[in-house]
Amino acid sequence: MAFKHIGKNFTPPDVRAKVTGKAKYAEDFRAEGMLFIKLLASPMPHAIVRNLDASEALKMDGVVGILTADDVPNIPEPQMPILTNHPKYVGDPILAIAATSEQIASDALEKVVIEYEPRPFVIDPLVSLFPGGPDVHDSGNVALFRGKAETIKWTARDFAAAAENELPRGKPQGEWEHGDVDEGFANAALVLDETFVVAGHPHQSMEPRSAFAYWENGKCYLHASSQSHTFNVPDYAKYCGVETEDLILIAEFCGGGFGSKGTAYPIATIPAHMSKKVGRPCMMRITRAEEYFLGSRRNGFQGNVKLGFSEEGRLIAADLYVVQQGGANDSFPDYANAGEALSLVYTPEAMRWKGIPIATNTPPTGAQRGPGQNQLACVMEPLMDKAAKTLGVDRLAIRELNAPDSNTTFGGRRSTLSSAYLKEAMRNGAERFNWEEKKKQSGQRNGSKVVGIGVGQAFHPGGSSGFDGLLRIAPDGKVHIHTGVGNLGTYSYASTSRVSAEVLGCSWENCVIERGDSRRHLPWNLGQFGSNTSYTMTRTNYAGAMDAKMKLLEIAAMDMGGTADDYDVGDDKVFFKADPSKNLTFAQAAQRAIELGGKYSGEEMNEDMHSITKASVKALAGTGLIGAAKDNHPSKGLPPALATTFIKIELDVETGKYEILEYVGTADCGTVVHPQGLEHQIRGGGVMGIGMAGLERIVYDPQNGLPANIGFHQAKPPSYLDVPPEMDVGYVDKPDPTNPVGARGIGEPLMGCAASALISAISDALGGVYFNRTPVVPDMIINALADRPQSYKTLQVSNQ
Amino acid sequence: MANDTHQDANANTGQPPVFEEARDPVTRRAFIKSVIATGAVASTGGIMLVSLSGCSDDATPAAGSVERLVNLNINGKSRPVDVLPNETLAMTLRYKLGLTGTKLACDRGECGACTVLVDDVTHNSCSTLTHSVRGRAVTTIEGLEQPDGTLHPVQQAMIDELGPQCGFCTPGQVMSGVALLKNNPNPSREEARQGLAGNLCRCGAYDHYLNSIMRAARVS
Amino acid sequence: MSTKDVMPQFALFQPTDIENALDLLEKYGERGWKVAGGQDSYDWFKDRAKRPEAVIDLGGIAALHGIRETADGIEIGALTTLSEIVDSPIITESYGVLAQAAGRVASPQIRNVGTLGGNLCQDTRCWYYRSGLDCYRAGGNTCYADTPEGMNREHCLFGASRCVAVTPSDTAAAVVALDAEMVIRGPAGERVVPAGEFFIGPAVNITRMTVVEASELLVAVRIPSKWAGADFYFEKVADRNTWDFPLVNVASSMIVNNGVVEDIRIVCSGVECVPKRIEGAEQIVIGSAPDAETADLAGGTASRGATPLNYNHFKIPLMENLVKRAIRGNV
Repeated sequence: MAFKHIGKNFTPPDVRAKVTGKAKYAEDFRAEGMLFIKLLASPMPHAIVRNLDASEALKMDGVVGILTADDVPNIPEPQMPILTNHPKYVGDPILAIAATSEQIASDALEKVVIEYEPRPFVIDPLVSLFPGGPDVHDSGNVALFRGKAETIKWTARDFAAAAENELPRGKPQGEWEHGDVDEGFANAALVLDETFVVAGHPHQSMEPRSAFAYWENGKCYLHASSQSHTFNVPDYAKYCGVETEDLILIAEFCGGGFGSKGTAYPIATIPAHMSKKVGRPCMMRITRAEEYFLGSRRNGFQGNVKLGFSEEGRLIAADLYVVQQGGANDSFPDYANAGEALSLVYTPEAMRWKGIPIATNTPPTGAQRGPGQNQLACVMEPLMDKAAKTLGVDRLAIRELNAPDSNTTFGGRRSTLSSAYLKEAMRNGAERFNWEEKKKQSGQRNGSKVVGIGVGQAFHPGGSSGFDGLLRIAPDGKVHIHTGVGNLGTYSYASTSRVSAEVLGCSWENCVIERGDSRRHLPWNLGQFGSNTSYTMTRTNYAGAMDAKMKLLEIAAMDMGGTADDYDVGDDKVFFKADPSKNLTFAQAAQRAIELGGKYSGEEMNEDMHSITKASVKALAGTGLIGAAKDNHPSKGLPPALATTFIKIELDVETGKYEILEYVGTADCGTVVHPQGLEHQIRGGGVMGIGMAGLERIVYDPQNGLPANIGFHQAKPPSYLDVPPEMDVGYVDKPDPTNPVGARGIGEPLMGCAASALISAISDALGGVYFNRTPVVPDMIINALADRPQSYKTLQVSNQ
Repeated sequence: MANDTHQDANANTGQPPVFEEARDPVTRRAFIKSVIATGAVASTGGIMLVSLSGCSDDATPAAGSVERLVNLNINGKSRPVDVLPNETLAMTLRYKLGLTGTKLACDRGECGACTVLVDDVTHNSCSTLTHSVRGRAVTTIEGLEQPDGTLHPVQQAMIDELGPQCGFCTPGQVMSGVALLKNNPNPSREEARQGLAGNLCRCGAYDHYLNSIMRAARVS
Repeated sequence: MSTKDVMPQFALFQPTDIENALDLLEKYGERGWKVAGGQDSYDWFKDRAKRPEAVIDLGGIAALHGIRETADGIEIGALTTLSEIVDSPIITESYGVLAQAAGRVASPQIRNVGTLGGNLCQDTRCWYYRSGLDCYRAGGNTCYADTPEGMNREHCLFGASRCVAVTPSDTAAAVVALDAEMVIRGPAGERVVPAGEFFIGPAVNITRMTVVEASELLVAVRIPSKWAGADFYFEKVADRNTWDFPLVNVASSMIVNNGVVEDIRIVCSGVECVPKRIEGAEQIVIGSAPDAETADLAGGTASRGATPLNYNHFKIPLMENLVKRAIRGNV
């Protein structure tokens, strides 16, 4: 299919505001009489607040109000609270003070006296799993995502059965198995049995999750930093204690989220509760240190993987056990995603997965770009190298041999895929990178520098379905595309809206995107997370636009004779195919729709849409031609996002530092919707992957539960000088059959394949040193080169 | 409001209501009100201004300490403003002058999101005391656009190359780019990389920002 | 654990001459705080870990700015910014090790504001100390880093005395390698201290990093012409290449005559509370050619006497390698 808009670059409507400073993020709004909120955070990793005396603070001039856990809805554990009397990590907010200035609010916090009763705390999941080990939650140590907590303890015998540097393996929380795993290992020519650790690391979005709120006529106006729009609203309404229609979310711009602002987060509602209490608008500016506490981080892993390979390198059996180091909340199920990812990317003939998520007294964790899949990539890709080198197989060949295709089934339920072209992506990347030549450079010395060549792959689900498309053709002929997806910064809110213009055959200049504010009558859309937007929202907008198109054709037939089939759309008109001079402009058609009423102007609508969409349609009814429909386009199998990265480094054997000389990222994301946007994702994912592989981790003092990294210089997101000055990109651009324009998502795996490619390159430069630990930091490399023992114990977590 | 592009209908987002504060007869208060008025006129966002963040009426300065009422040279205009001794330039700009294009991302001089020019030299405004820029020319992101809407070449290049992702670090990246090109109109890519090295971007748009700087250097 | 970032209130003084500044320092004593570029000071204040009553902003004192040639080298005003040092022709041409070190400090924005004096006088970055804990250095009676479980990757190999923190300064190693003199003004007048004696470890005074008293000011750094145009080497190894503190760095000045090393000074940061002269290695090198063999021999002795902690023994091979490079270059 030839497209007019899809696959072409354009200037997204929000970019000018970004470069002029006019883009308004949550902390950029002001109101006369606005108060400033500051949070008092727990200094202890686990405690009960026994007494709280804020009387001296409240006496201060300019202090207007206080909010404690007693003033806000109780969100039951293990979900994150709004405020708490049972702090479960250093930084857990206990109370908020509102004052006429930040200065006064900050000074007032120092006058609050709190008596804490310390509780036992735990940083290392294995300590919690040991009999008698501390539990974060009253209801247990295993916190299920969006579920309850339960208690699972392993036996002392489980621990004793493992050697000191092996993962003990007691009862898991989840497990599945397919094929005969034990027979697979028995038949394997090579078995690798490896213990690994992947560090958790914070999302560290540039915009801290500041929030601003006020009330008017019973409605709560909440300005929050959000990746999503309508998808968040029901939860925010619940947290604020109002009906969905009374929660007005304003979130036009989001200064980065990476998964941490995808769904509603309770602390964003602190200014709403405070504002309700004191009757004035409230601004809560979140500090960088607070963002490290409240802003989420990736789950850490302790695990073991056993891999059985045939002589040719085919993975015939895999056995994965993941202990997840979660935070003090219901952590995202990365541990389960890792099992699915192993099954999908490496297609073992038989596989067993077991996993258990353990809550620890560290900040809440959440989905971060490739949650579970990207940790798994960092574990597996170096081991694929190890297997290849041991078996004497080319490192690319072993990956191709095991790579999925469109017929692959995976996981315990043997799920299917909509399409998969990972092998094509790998070949595309290998060609761009010149793999055959580059691999010969592996190990080449130039003074103290040695060349390392790495390759990595990763996966994430790449789309969803069943959401509502909504557009309105106004009487002036403008096409207003309503999107509730949010604006994460990927521009996909805009590029997927162009499907509407594609379907309606209209110019992009004639389209207006309505978004960012509940008052703009937005449809029910999935949030902008999980690499789903390109797939989900192209389907969704297609559904809304097809509905509008059908109505245009019907109106034309009514007015000009014949049937709808005799008409088509193009050039902002609906026209008679046999004689295009017989036509209605969109403006005329919209006016006719208003006159006709009923379904044409939104007075009637499809019943299968979400109540949020219906309310929006109702509000727009009678103002133009309304296209509104649920995405009922057929689906078949999971649409995967797949990607590979090739990296060349020069590693300095005297300092443990390396320079990334070449980076090639290639994506299999179906039809390319927006090349510039895709290139941003491939490079940006690469930058985050470079951080994950070599720089970023959480560090906690095991003695007192204190976090060591609460600033950028400690948490170390990559800077300009830590990444290559130029990063090459490629893509397969092969349509997915289940999407009307062939698109699939892509954002997340680009980080995992880059991270694993870098680790692969480091191990390659070191002549085959596999750390089984992410990140690989300079001291690990130096110790390896100097033949010194590593400072950490094999299963240690949160260490330096 | 902020978004002035024709395809984005978000023209009047989130105008909060006005809450009248009790009138305060103190002279300094009146002065602040006049500051507010000035701020409202000069601010680009058309938003309602302004709260008195950072101001505390109970502070009694020690003898010889700085005068709180100062005139600042911001984007070529003299702006009267009441500044506490411990107040950072970022807070003054954002909360007293309505110049919210300067972003606070770390408030510790670690990320560059709050970068402004002081006498054409990049400063992290979060780590600059406002009192230290008295008598010096401060340029913020709002000061780059010509009255006729023409953008600075760095800004225009960032549109043409689609430099930003989420946009939160973008004003700081622009300011570092502007300062770089003032000193070195034809930088190499490596010089541009070094020049912008103090500006973090978590989205990882570095390559696109560098492309933008190089384009701006070519066209200007 | 500070989650705050609003400074407590203080009085701000902006003197325009040294005498006025000294008067203020005398008046406020321990309740006063000198600010040069402020790039570390403001963070302390925002953490509310330091709460001076009066802040004395030295930026307006013209006499503290600038780079001057003298009869015996150069004199750099303490308030000269790191960017000015990086851009100074005389420093880059004749004392390049200092420009290189200054150029690796933090970020361009910090270097535009941060000063040589401030960089030399900055406090340690031990994360426990910075967390506001009551450690020895903060006036308490324990060290959190020097324990079996302490996270001490960035801490010292040498010179521990209750405290195991290290100097984070990039320029400190360079000024010691240049055998600079530090000019200090106080109520009793001026005193001049060799750079090698300017920095002090916890055994001397656990609560501060230099000999400068609360009532005194570092006013200038004098670099003797002896080292002008010497063979210099500087390298910083940090996790990130921007805005990070050294795991270890090395600065050296070497005078070679007819292929033989006549004099050399080699200094490492990040391994002790003070910039560490590697005198043993210097002695090995003097009189020999700065070749790989000499470098290996001298570098191999650089870490002698080190007492590593649990997480920082990697600094032993790292500093040895950096010292080797300082002698033979990075080939």
